[in-house]
Amino acid sequence: MELEFKIVGSDILVKLKGDIDEFGVRAIRADIDRLIEKYNLKSMTLDMQKVTFVDSTGLGFLLGRYNKLRAKRAELLLKNVPPQADKVFRTSGIYSFVPIVE
Amino acid sequence: MKNFFDLTMPSDGRNEAFARSVVASFAIVCSPTVEEINDLKTAVSEAVTNAIVHAYPNEVGLVKLHCEADDASREVTVVVEDYGKGIENLDEALEPFFTTSRDDERSGMGFTIIQTFTDSMCVTSKVSEGTTVTMKKVFRSC
Repeated sequence: MELEFKIVGSDILVKLKGDIDEFGVRAIRADIDRLIEKYNLKSMTLDMQKVTFVDSTGLGFLLGRYNKLRAKRAELLLKNVPPQADKVFRTSGIYSFVPIVE
Repeated sequence: MKNFFDLTMPSDGRNEAFARSVVASFAIVCSPTVEEINDLKTAVSEAVTNAIVHAYPNEVGLVKLHCEADDASREVTVVVEDYGKGIENLDEALEPFFTTSRDDERSGMGFTIIQTFTDSMCVTSKVSEGTTVTMKKVFRSC
């Protein structure tokens, strides 16, 4: 997996690319956590437009980031969720913690 | 006509993407929709991830993948087998959100996703001998 980020106001926008599975999250978990620690912003938005696959490892990954951000009173948001990922997210009910934004 | 393949691979994270892709390619003869093939890929990924992460937590073991596709009935069967540590309490493991490794950021949704995304799932497991997950999916869309 790869990621790019930019700061937009009080949000950090992270563009993810690739498969969010066991192998993929190993590559980006530490980088994302460094961003959470370094920039104390109000929210992190994950742009999933270029995400090609998500499984339950991806859910665990999102919940982990959600917990880290919540400890800093910040939110985790999702954007451009592809249909395959959307189905996994809907099955788990994760949208009640991590909402979609336009 | 029924077609099948068998393959054996090490429990390496890279093989998750390989396993779901090879099953998806093989299942194409059953004319699935994009959504149906994605459901199958997701379910296969869950079973293979379980084998890699849970069956062999501190070692590399073997994961066996068996797949059958019948283009007449449009049914695909996938069997993911490991020879790892096995599941102690299967009823618990099948519950949504149950995980033995919460600290490790596991969602506990693997089996629930397989159940939701396929037509049937069967899990057999024996401690210290391994686990077998069998799933079937019928492609119904025209």
